[in-house]
Amino acid sequence: MNYIKKIQSKHSNEFTLTIIFIGIFILMGALSPDKFLSINNIKTMAFQMPEFGIMAIGMMITILTGGINLSITNGAALSAIVTAFILSSDFSETNPIMGVVLALIACIIVASLTGIINGTVIAYIGVAPMLVTLGTKTLFEGIGLNFTKGGAISGFPDIYSEIGNGDLLGIPIPLILYIVVIVISYLLIERSAWGTEVFMVGCNETATRFSGINTKKTLMKVYLFSGIMSGIASLIISSRYNSAKTDYGSSYLMQSITAVVLGGTSISGGHGSVVGTIVAIAIMQVISTGLNILGVNRYIVDIITGGILIVILAIRFISKEMADKKMIKLRSASSVK
Amino acid sequence: MKKFTKRKEFGIILIILIMSFILTIVSSAFLKADNIIDILRNNAVYGIMAFGMLPVLISGGIDLSVASSIALCAVVAGKIMTVFDTNIVIVFIISMLVGALIGLINGLIITKLKIAPMVATLGIMTVTLGVVLLYTGGTWISGLPEYFKEFGMAKLGNIPTKNGLTLGIPSQVIILILSGVVTWLMLRYTLIGRGIYAIGGSEASAVRVGYNVDKIKVFIYMYSGIMTGIAAVVHTSIVQQVDPNTFLGYELTVISTVVIGGASTMGGVGTVLGTTFGIILMGILQNGLILAKIPTYWQKIVMGLVILIAISVDVINRKREQSKLVRVDVEG
Repeated sequence: MNYIKKIQSKHSNEFTLTIIFIGIFILMGALSPDKFLSINNIKTMAFQMPEFGIMAIGMMITILTGGINLSITNGAALSAIVTAFILSSDFSETNPIMGVVLALIACIIVASLTGIINGTVIAYIGVAPMLVTLGTKTLFEGIGLNFTKGGAISGFPDIYSEIGNGDLLGIPIPLILYIVVIVISYLLIERSAWGTEVFMVGCNETATRFSGINTKKTLMKVYLFSGIMSGIASLIISSRYNSAKTDYGSSYLMQSITAVVLGGTSISGGHGSVVGTIVAIAIMQVISTGLNILGVNRYIVDIITGGILIVILAIRFISKEMADKKMIKLRSASSVK
Repeated sequence: MKKFTKRKEFGIILIILIMSFILTIVSSAFLKADNIIDILRNNAVYGIMAFGMLPVLISGGIDLSVASSIALCAVVAGKIMTVFDTNIVIVFIISMLVGALIGLINGLIITKLKIAPMVATLGIMTVTLGVVLLYTGGTWISGLPEYFKEFGMAKLGNIPTKNGLTLGIPSQVIILILSGVVTWLMLRYTLIGRGIYAIGGSEASAVRVGYNVDKIKVFIYMYSGIMTGIAAVVHTSIVQQVDPNTFLGYELTVISTVVIGGASTMGGVGTVLGTTFGIILMGILQNGLILAKIPTYWQKIVMGLVILIAISVDVINRKREQSKLVRVDVEG
């Protein structure tokens, strides 16, 4: 019991989010036990969540530094398109395994490049992240459009679809990828020296620089990491759709920002956690799938998602106000004594 | 002359001049009165929204909800025109009221609940878009009344041209110019306008000087909403139907336009003149690439590069000036 209390006080935000998640899960389960709780549905959710979750982790790390990555979905689409080009070439048709390996390498290289472009302009020239990624968003979209001429590229080798649709011992491969990404990003962001630097930059960049940390390098790595995450997400997306197009995954842009903020990350940087983001993603997934099963109009799901974002932030603000007032009362009471 | 080259808008004017020069050589159709009027007419919607976004960016905020908000205003305006027998003034007023209402909600959430503008407007954007799509089901509204068609084609001035058509300033361009002038007057000569710059420079100082920061902020977002309402009717008057899905991604184009015009998302900086040039540059980019017969796929690449170059040059210049200042201090 003591242990639970310790977790609760140390990670109060994650704790509340987990309770909300469990509550919504039980509610959805109670409303539609035969459909929502079926193995089939849980498996569908496990296939849908990873691409969104990985993208959101890539978004989260940039927000932790007080920045943002608006180019994340278009960067993902661009790497998916380059991947698709290699996969649908004659080379991949004759030797599919080599083709897929090459495509995977190309995808990560392109994704890293998108991150490096963002990182260079943001860290070394010093332009506001929002403006830079707004520009690169348009740029990547344009390059992608030039490749596809507005259509979709398809005709991949059969093994490639395993990445997004296959399973290993009954566990979906995207979910395995997701878990690996979560563990790695948890270790990198919350348990490494670089991760600490990321939080420090988010709190106060100038102070961090004066304490002897190469903030430019830190920021560069942040956008590189974000780019690579978008690349991994793009692999799952292109594999699940079995094609690549410039607007695949574009709806994840605003959704991932929503998930990150819902997960307790401050939009001005410095605060946040990987676990919070992941729980927030699970909440959003359960809400959208659950309401979908209940036959609620898709647009109402949008309204509810936006509403939840504002309500949770409002609750956070009000509870913080109340805690502050309590603190002031306590202090004034003790000073009177 | 030296003062002129030092102005913030100088860089963008240079880009516009160079591009216009190249385009005039490449295509004979570019530097003609009717083409230039066309550029302005086609960009009137972005322009009006940009004038609404400018005060928001100057104050250090951001309004992501404008795309959903223009969709809602256009749908409401379209419905009113097809259902009721009204006139153009009432349509404008209702559309502006709808925009102002969304702005009011944004402003109240930002000031009373202290939620960051980006997150608050993101939430409102999602909710508003949901409402629009739920109401329309994604279907178009068409069959707009005759007086609205006339308004869409109305022109000021009637200069006959060689090919038998007449040349005049379209109603949309007049509204664009009017909204620019109003924004300029508001930012330059009213207490609220000076307050917006003060908030963007330093919010804490603005409070100490005695500005009612919350009130000004609510006003800023309402102003953006009203401009969006106007833009909604202008857009509908050009295309003569309402498709709630066309507005997807408008918010980012509008923000890009204002940013190219020299405003900073960090607040405190930005002028109506700069934004005007931003609108012109965006228009020339779209129009010029078509006239130069460059495939439309290149349009986005060029636009992305222009945004990146414009903002990078701005930052590099500012850094150079700052380092100069330091040097003077040391010598002195």
